[in-house]
Amino acid sequence: MIKIHQGVDMVNTSKLRDICMRHEGFVSEIFTEREREYCMLKKNPYQHLAGRFAAKEACLKALGWGLQGIDSIMQEIEVLHSPSGKPELQLKGWARKLATKFGITGRTVSISHSGDYAVSTVILTGEKR
Amino acid sequence: MTQDFVTGEKVVDAVKDAVAETLSIEKDTIKPESSLINDLDAESLDFLDINYRIEQTFGIKMARHFILEHIEEMFGEGSAIDEDGKLTEKAVELLKIRLGEELPGITAGTDMDDIPAHITVQSIANGVMDILDTLPEKCSCGASAWASDDGAKVKCSSCGEPAAFTNGDDLSQEWLRKVQEEKKIF
Repeated sequence: MIKIHQGVDMVNTSKLRDICMRHEGFVSEIFTEREREYCMLKKNPYQHLAGRFAAKEACLKALGWGLQGIDSIMQEIEVLHSPSGKPELQLKGWARKLATKFGITGRTVSISHSGDYAVSTVILTGEKR
Repeated sequence: MTQDFVTGEKVVDAVKDAVAETLSIEKDTIKPESSLINDLDAESLDFLDINYRIEQTFGIKMARHFILEHIEEMFGEGSAIDEDGKLTEKAVELLKIRLGEELPGITAGTDMDDIPAHITVQSIANGVMDILDTLPEKCSCGASAWASDDGAKVKCSSCGEPAAFTNGDDLSQEWLRKVQEEKKIF
């Protein structure tokens, strides 16, 4: 039997930009180098960072892990892109260990932006043990 | 060493300031026992913002890894969380010792994502105080002359360098080693 773990998150882009401006280490602590490179080349980088933040948080929710501070797990969930531009999730470290523990073998992510908001859903699948 | 430059009251007050500014709410409405999620409607970005503000206020570095992760790193796969994402009995025992209080609703078998709802102003302040109490006896310049002008940041009154506190992750690991040595939980 397949077990499905789902997570969704929505981020206010202005709020994220405000935090980035006030806390010098925020962007480099939350986003990987590849994510920063991708987003900072965009016309509105904060909209793209907000989308990635939403995807990371949606993935955490799907993993059943609640954020409670400046958690390095945010760096361990990386949002990359296929050649066609479709977002993909890569898990490392503790995030990967949790996924392995729960028997997760498949994952999909979707991100969308509109106005001042970014939203993401993540679905993780695995065989129920 | 236990320090007396920054009081527990000052820390709770600073945490309240950080929460009030982040959530744009009146400071008077925030109590030490207020749950950031259940009572104050904080979301994940707010948790990050509050923690960064507190770090700036006291010149400390809070933990980047939650204690459950440290437990599994130190005592092995499955020691804190089972294959269904539920807390183990030993994880609950450690959490109760760590937080120094009863955790209503947290028992073996509780979902691990239920824990953030138990984070309160006071529990954050306790974590800050634990870090502040790692103030070394002496500054790297050799002087034992700590001082604080604002009751928040501690610096050496001889060379002016800020105090180098143990970071939150190292402190969590030290604490786990000590508790394991004393109580042989694993």
